[in-house]
Amino acid sequence: MAERMQLCNLSENNFEQCTKCSICTTVCPVAAVTTDYPGPKQAGPDGERYRLKDPAYFDKALKLCLNCKRCEVACPSGVHIADIIQHARMRATEGHRASLRDTMLANTDLLGTMANLVAPVANATLGLSPVKMVMHSMMAIDKHRTFPAYSRQKFTTWFKRHAAQSQDAYSNHVSYFHGCYVNYNFPKLGQDLVKLLNAMGYGVHLLDKEQCCGVALIANGLYKQAKRQARTNIASIRTAVNRDHHMVLTTSSSCTFNMRDEYATMLDIDNSDVRDNITLATRFIYNLVDEGKIKLIFKQDYKRRVAYHTACHMQRMGWQLFSIELLRMIPGLDLIELEQECCGISGTYGFKKENYERSQAIGSALFKSIEQAQVEAVATDCETCKWQIEMSTGLPVENPISILADALDVEATRQANGIK
Amino acid sequence: MRMDTVIMGGGLSGLACGIALAKRGKRVAIVASGQSTLLFNGGSMEMLGYVDGKAVTSPLEAIATLPQSHPYSKIGAERIAALSERVKLLFNDSGVNMTGTANANHWRITPMGVAKPAWLTLNDHLRIDDLNNLPAKRLALMCIRGYFDQPNSMMAMGLRNLGFEVKVIEFTTDDISALRRSPSEMRATNLAKRLVSHSALQRIADQINSLAGDADMVLLPSVFGQSDDSDFQSLQSKVNKPLRLIATLPPAVAGMRIQTQLRHYFRMLGGTYLMGDSAVSGTIEGDQLTSITTAKMNDMPLRADNFVLATGSFVSRGLRADYERIYEPVLDLDVDADADREQWTRFGVLEPQAYMRYGVATDEQFRCRKQGKTINNLYAIGSVLSGHDAVKMGDGTGVSLLTALAVNDLIIAKK
Ligand code: SF4
Ligand code: SF4
Repeated sequence: MAERMQLCNLSENNFEQCTKCSICTTVCPVAAVTTDYPGPKQAGPDGERYRLKDPAYFDKALKLCLNCKRCEVACPSGVHIADIIQHARMRATEGHRASLRDTMLANTDLLGTMANLVAPVANATLGLSPVKMVMHSMMAIDKHRTFPAYSRQKFTTWFKRHAAQSQDAYSNHVSYFHGCYVNYNFPKLGQDLVKLLNAMGYGVHLLDKEQCCGVALIANGLYKQAKRQARTNIASIRTAVNRDHHMVLTTSSSCTFNMRDEYATMLDIDNSDVRDNITLATRFIYNLVDEGKIKLIFKQDYKRRVAYHTACHMQRMGWQLFSIELLRMIPGLDLIELEQECCGISGTYGFKKENYERSQAIGSALFKSIEQAQVEAVATDCETCKWQIEMSTGLPVENPISILADALDVEATRQANGIK
Repeated sequence: MRMDTVIMGGGLSGLACGIALAKRGKRVAIVASGQSTLLFNGGSMEMLGYVDGKAVTSPLEAIATLPQSHPYSKIGAERIAALSERVKLLFNDSGVNMTGTANANHWRITPMGVAKPAWLTLNDHLRIDDLNNLPAKRLALMCIRGYFDQPNSMMAMGLRNLGFEVKVIEFTTDDISALRRSPSEMRATNLAKRLVSHSALQRIADQINSLAGDADMVLLPSVFGQSDDSDFQSLQSKVNKPLRLIATLPPAVAGMRIQTQLRHYFRMLGGTYLMGDSAVSGTIEGDQLTSITTAKMNDMPLRADNFVLATGSFVSRGLRADYERIYEPVLDLDVDADADREQWTRFGVLEPQAYMRYGVATDEQFRCRKQGKTINNLYAIGSVLSGHDAVKMGDGTGVSLLTALAVNDLIIAKK
């Protein structure tokens, strides 16, 4: 009886569990740099009390929230602070139309398809100052930003031409959700994953139909479109899981977090049957090594000093250990783990003119610690952190999968895993 | 995943134990759920403040009089003297600059202006070694306009009762005023994040220099230096009088600084700090804990030779209470607590509360028990232990630090 009484008292998002300790405030990267933002406690559980009474209490400043989830990770009382804030934003923007700029930034795949067709032109134009000035003033995309370069050949095109045929020869199989970034901007990461998995004896397959995971759509208030794409993705993932008995691997922490957690909490899409089958490639590979199912052999002469940056959503999932421990298996790699701080880009947030300065201020502590670490490169599981850190520190930033693929002795690994 | 030692809990105790083990070359993972009670710490460590309601002059001497059930008695007064020196080294190595000795308590000032016995205090915070020989006569108590986490008049009254002449001076600067736009966020930690640039500190120094008058020491709320004491040093260099910080209501910058520095040092030693995850269950085989499972890595048990439980007390959820019982939530270990709920609390918040002394039951080597059976590779340290009372005895942080090092030694000595 007593237990049940307590259970029934729990509200959605645990918002009444808040003890007003203000610990969330101490970690919020936005509240730290601007007084325009009321901070997680006020924007979250405190403000929610008012908004429940009257939705008119919605405060526009909530748009400044990065949805980085650091407040949730820190809250000792388990309040889903960022979820409360995101839901409030969602309720308040229902029926509103997103601006052209937000729609354009959010549609990473649409932008990608167009750009791929004309990659050299797109790269040149998106990089040209007059064009940047137009974007800055007419579309409010900050002029300091460099758009990530678009690749001439999409990952999927490369895969069909050069990899698809050979995959059935392996005895184990996985599906790969490559995401927009790998497909349009950086196919090499996808190629690295195929190289790594093949050497371990795993064939790689694409989903029947993949669409952008929608993380940027959610952030920009395009919920309907996000839902449509989420349904398509979950249906394809279901097929891969049920028909092919595949795990579905990703190489982006944000896509992973979005599909595993935000689909259910933000978009109300039931993914519970396949959630455990969606995982980050580093976690998947680490588990195989740990269980003794596969071996990785690295080049003798590999030497590098690298700092690992834990992306916000990676920290929220609590999976950084898999990437870190996997990298630590490379004998020649000197790995420094950085203090867990936000880089400030948060997907498309930092691309917006009104956010540029704030975005850089948020990241400044991280950039400083990277500088102090005296490394040759930075490793991180998130592509937008990559853009931000590359732009702000000048150092190359790589996904752990690429570093592993680079350090791997492919022949020796194939032999160790019994592949001819 | 296999480690040498897995520590559940990333607060003061877990970090101290983790650092000591990592220094000896062990592979250590700390599973830390959210933030710790260090965020309530105003910059001092206390070994033993009170026995039977009386302030302790020499903690090392008073420890010998404690009952056998107290964690210090399990370590032994003699070893504590040696361990206390190692605690100082550990802080020093981590860049936490503290002063004090276990032979004689000094006094720290609480945010309410009360003097309490302390063992170690951050060098940039107010420390009074001898109440009959105050470090200054005239104090300028600088109060930030619009900052509510410092009860100024109580602080001034408390300091006057100790014999200081106190002048309360309100001040502000442009940087500080800007923060008042969002009053709910005008907390010590956010001030500390803002007051870092040379120019922001210079503006504060200018105010102090023009307002402090004939004071021979200037006090400021502890809102400087979230990651080390360099902001304080920079401010001091711009002010022509000695400067000291005084504790504020939480969230406390001092505790946050200590936590940040310890965590950073632990990482530098190659330790793994899993922020925002917590142990949820474990597998016990015979007299050994073989692995634990965490909330976020549910399909990947953490295996280790030894485990340390440093999950804290009720505030940190290392201990839980429901209508029927008091229990340890991860492994349901044996606890020392009254079965009769009537005995848990007493009316009146300031009364000694029995629940403060509750905690997991351990043997002489801090090994935990489940259903009466000792688990040979599971140790408990810090506030989760029974037999001490952080509020009434002023022994909380000391128990955290000293049991952490004692257990480190036990683990290292094991073959
Ligand atoms: S950390 Fe959690 S409990 Fe504390 S104020 Fe924030 S939401 Fe409330
Ligand atoms: S999600 Fe991030 S930006 Fe938003 S309130 Fe929480 S900590 Fe602040």
